[in-house]
Amino acid sequence: MVIFFVLPLMLTVVWSVFERTMFWMEPAFTLFSYENFFFSSRLENFISSMLHSSISVVCAFFIGFPIAIFIRRRVKKVAQHRVMLLFILPFMVSEIIRIFALRPILSRNGVVNSFLMDLNLIDTPFSVFVFTPTGVVIGEIVSFLPFMIFSTFLALEAIPNYIFEVCSDLGVNRRRMFKDILLPLAAPGLFAGSVFIFVNGIGIALIPTILGGPGSVNAGLIATQAIIALDFPLAMAVSAIMMFTLMGLLYLGHKLFNLTKLLEPIS
Amino acid sequence: MSQTNAIEVKNLVKTYGDVYALKNVDLNIADGEYFVLLGPSGGGKTTLLRSIGGFIRPDSGSVDIKGKNVDNLPPDKRPTSMVFQGFALFPHMSVSENIGYGLKIQSIKNNIIENKVSRMMDLVGLTGLSKRKPHELSGGQQQRVQLARALILENDVLLLDEPLSALDAQLRKDMCIELKRLQKTVGISFVHVTHNQEEAMSVADRIAIIADGEMIEQGTPKEIYSNPKKKFTAEFIGEKNIFNGKVIDINKSIILIDIEIDKIEVVNKNYKINKGQDVSLSIKSESIKVDKLKVSKQPQENKAIKGKITEIIFLGQFVRYLVLLNNNQEIQVRSHDEVSNINVNDYVMLSWRLEDFLVHEG
Repeated sequence: MVIFFVLPLMLTVVWSVFERTMFWMEPAFTLFSYENFFFSSRLENFISSMLHSSISVVCAFFIGFPIAIFIRRRVKKVAQHRVMLLFILPFMVSEIIRIFALRPILSRNGVVNSFLMDLNLIDTPFSVFVFTPTGVVIGEIVSFLPFMIFSTFLALEAIPNYIFEVCSDLGVNRRRMFKDILLPLAAPGLFAGSVFIFVNGIGIALIPTILGGPGSVNAGLIATQAIIALDFPLAMAVSAIMMFTLMGLLYLGHKLFNLTKLLEPIS
Repeated sequence: MSQTNAIEVKNLVKTYGDVYALKNVDLNIADGEYFVLLGPSGGGKTTLLRSIGGFIRPDSGSVDIKGKNVDNLPPDKRPTSMVFQGFALFPHMSVSENIGYGLKIQSIKNNIIENKVSRMMDLVGLTGLSKRKPHELSGGQQQRVQLARALILENDVLLLDEPLSALDAQLRKDMCIELKRLQKTVGISFVHVTHNQEEAMSVADRIAIIADGEMIEQGTPKEIYSNPKKKFTAEFIGEKNIFNGKVIDINKSIILIDIEIDKIEVVNKNYKINKGQDVSLSIKSESIKVDKLKVSKQPQENKAIKGKITEIIFLGQFVRYLVLLNNNQEIQVRSHDEVSNINVNDYVMLSWRLEDFLVHEG
C-alpha cells in the first residue's frame, strides 16, 4: 500500500511543485503548474470530462445492470459463464483498434446513420456521434460496459437462488424485487463498476483523442499533452488534482451513501 | 384434530425427463395436523412439498388446499408459506425487516407491521434481536427468523423443507420440540420434509414414507415405528434384523414361515398374504432375547434360532450383541442388561415373543 500507492502519490505531489526546465524539472517550490491548470481552459475541460464520465457511468448502469440481471435470472446456470465470456471477446482486440473501429460506425455516413436513413427514421445523418463529447461518451460506454456487466453480474451471482424462491413465496413483484433485493445486493458490484468507468473515463486519453472533437479533452489527455510538451510539473499537477478529486469524491460518496454499509453484502 | 382436510393431493405425477419424481401420489393432510414427509434423499418428498407450495408444476394430478383447487396459482397466491432448506434469509435486511418483509410488500401500515413483527419474534423466541443481521445470528436463530417470516403471513399451511438439516444434532432435537410446540400454538397444519427418522418421529402427528416417487405408507409415528407394513419402511427406520421367507402355512392366528435356516411361527395380524407367498420379516433388536445354548435344553421348535456371538458392544444404557446365524446373516440384539457368562464365539439361542416378529407384505 505504501510502496504502490502513498509513495507514487507523494512523488507526484512533490514533482508537481518543481520548476520546469527545458527537458526535465528541478527541485523548487512553485505553484505555477497549478496556476497553469486552474486559470486556463484546462479546468473547464477537466470538469466537463468529469461530467462526461458521469454520464457514461449512468448510461453503463442503465444498459449494463439489466443485462447482468437478465443473465443471472434468465440464462441457464451452465451457460451463464459462457455468455460472460462473450463480453470478454472485444478485449482480444487492441483498444486503439476497438475505439478506432467506432469511427466508421458512428460517422456521418457510417453504419448507424445509413441504417437510420434506410429505415427513413431520419432525413439527414446525425453528426454528433463522432468528434463531439457525445462521441466520447459513446466510446466510453462501448469500451467500459463489460466492466459494469462483469462486476454487477458477479455480485448478482453471489445471491443464492433461495432468495428468488422466497420472493415468489412472498409475492414480491419485479419493481420491489429490483428495489429491495437486486439493487442493494448488487451495490458493491455497481460501486466497483462505476468507479472503474468514472476513473477510466477521465483518465484514458485514447478515447477523446480518437473520438472526441477539438474541444473534447479529458484529464488523461491534458496530462499526455503536457508530457508531449515536456512540461512534466504540469503533468504531475494534473495527475495530483485528478487523484485528489477522486479521493474527495469517494469521501463525499462515503458521507452521502455510507460506503461501508453499501459494501456490507460482500462482507 | 378436526375432520376437514387442509391439503388434498390427488394422483400427482411429476417427471424429469424419463425419471419419475412423483408417481400418482395421493395425500390428505388434516387441518391442524403436523404432517411429516419422510424418506431418503431424491425420493420425491421435496418435489411433493414444492408442488403443494406452487414452486413446481406437476405433470398431472391436483392439489386442493382448504377445499380450493390451487393448481393454477403461483406460490404467493396459495394459502401456504414456506420455510426453506438452509438459512434462506435476506442477508442485507435485519431480523425485523426480514420478518416484516412479506407484510411490507402487501402495503400494510408500518405500525401494524411493527406490532406483528414483535409479537412474532416473541413467539419464536427471538426477543431483543430485531436489529441483528442474519450473519450475526446462530443457525438456530436464523431458522427461527425464517419461521417467523413465514408464520407472520397467517396462511393456512406452513411448508417446511428440511428446516433443521443444517443444524447440529443437539440443536436439531431442541428445535424439534419447539417446532411441535409452535405448531400447537398457531394451530395451522405443518408439512415438514425430512430424511431424519428421529426428527420425524419427534414432531409428527402423522408420517408418510416416500421413496422413488411413491407413497410407501402412512401412519402415526407409533404405527410406523412399531408396526411398519412395508419392508422398505422397516429398513428405513433402522431395522437391522430383516429376513426373507416363504409362507408355508397360514391360519387365523399363526403363520408358519420358512426363513431358509429354520422355520418360525409368527402371529397373524390380519396380513393380506397367501400360502406360498414370498414375504419379508423383521424384528426389533430389543425384542430378541439371548440365552446361552445348553445341551440339556433344546430350543423350542419354530420359536427360536441358534447363532454364534461375534461381538459384544457395551453402549452405556444397553449392550449390543452381534449374532451370526448359520446362513452368515448377522442379527443385532439389544439388551438392557448384560447377559451373564456369554462371551464372543459362544453359541446362543435367540428367542422372542411370537407377536414381536412382523411380516411385511412388500
